[in-house]
Amino acid sequence: MGLSVLARNLPYLAGAFALTLETAALVIVGGTVAGVLLGLARSTRGRALRGAVALYIGLIRGTPLLVVLFVVYFAVPSLTGHRFTAYEAAVIGFIAFIAAYIAEDVRSGIRSVPRGQIEAALASGLSRGQVVRLVVLPQAIRRMIPALFNQFVRLLKFTSVASAIGVTELTGATLAVNAREFQPLPLLTGLALAYFAACYALSLVGRWLNRRYAIPG
Amino acid sequence: MNYSFDWSVLWRYREQLLGGLVITLLLSLMAMAGALAVGVSAGAAAESERPLLRRIAAGYVEIARNIPLLVHLYFWYLGLTALKIPAFWCGVLGLSLYSGAYVAEIVRAGLQGVPAGQRAAGLALGLSPALVLRLVVYPQALRIVAPSLAGLFSQLIKDSSLASVISVTELTFVAGAIEGDTFRTFEAYIGITVLYLVLATTIAQVTLWTLRSELVEPAMRD
Repeated sequence: MGLSVLARNLPYLAGAFALTLETAALVIVGGTVAGVLLGLARSTRGRALRGAVALYIGLIRGTPLLVVLFVVYFAVPSLTGHRFTAYEAAVIGFIAFIAAYIAEDVRSGIRSVPRGQIEAALASGLSRGQVVRLVVLPQAIRRMIPALFNQFVRLLKFTSVASAIGVTELTGATLAVNAREFQPLPLLTGLALAYFAACYALSLVGRWLNRRYAIPG
Repeated sequence: MNYSFDWSVLWRYREQLLGGLVITLLLSLMAMAGALAVGVSAGAAAESERPLLRRIAAGYVEIARNIPLLVHLYFWYLGLTALKIPAFWCGVLGLSLYSGAYVAEIVRAGLQGVPAGQRAAGLALGLSPALVLRLVVYPQALRIVAPSLAGLFSQLIKDSSLASVISVTELTFVAGAIEGDTFRTFEAYIGITVLYLVLATTIAQVTLWTLRSELVEPAMRD
């Protein structure tokens, strides 16, 4: 009896799982781009910019994700008058949230490149842009792989929180099916397994990339 | 922007906010204790010499870490609804088992961070393996893991906001209730954001201070 409820609702749940994966992919790309920009801004010489970015990162890192989503979905409309759909609010909230964490990883990745290398590159006549592009980033990105994939897995798990503002991704859809069928144990076990499979697969990709692009020595 | 702020709403609902803060604090402290108990056991098991223990610990860590916290919470609250565990304790259970996996990883790293020579020296001096762990390895491992543990605990406090979804009346839940009453959405959520910031920072500092203080030192100096 347990499995039949999963089988009966499989098309709906599979669709919701696809939405979860699609959302995660979208936010991983958006969050990485935003995070790299913030991380670079945090490493520049402009004081005002560095300070503003540091303030933003500190604020977001001190706030629970659920509260960030509530602010984007409920509070921002009362300020601006523009109302996002629940899905838009979730994507914006996730990107704003994870970018603050990725920015810190980017910053420590950049810092992990020894100063001497930068000085040597400048001394041998490369421009600042070339130093960043040819010396700093290739090493920083490879060092950042484990931290980045940690954030990606976190993000994939976080997408479940979108259900709290009414997005019917996998968690929301499972709860909706449960409200109709009331078979919580098989439904929630299936839910846990689906997330486990997706997150574990993503973390394996991270481990593989890390081995593949490890800096020798 | 034609929104006029009315921060007095936070003062009018101070009792509810304080109540929510107390629940958040209780929930977090219990979950920290639970996560420490689970995590230290699993972390020690992961470093043990018995393959079976190691495998069980590794399995637990992988499973708990790769499932969203929200699903952990729903599992206890809805999935095992037949057990009728009160929402608050579902929150404690879910948070403990989820964060316990992270504690386990931190503990494992801490144990690996203590040089092997220390252990060997302790044994050579005639201490029993249990005494070596208690007097030599753990005091040093604790200081190594202090920053990561402090970070994890402040994360746990923020994560506890998800318990509002299973109707635990903690801070985020209270903010939702204030919003429903007054439509002062922005004030309510900014208000609790500040409270979370204060709470998370305080807990992180207390953790750092405790783990680095004399409390864990005497064993090493005697």
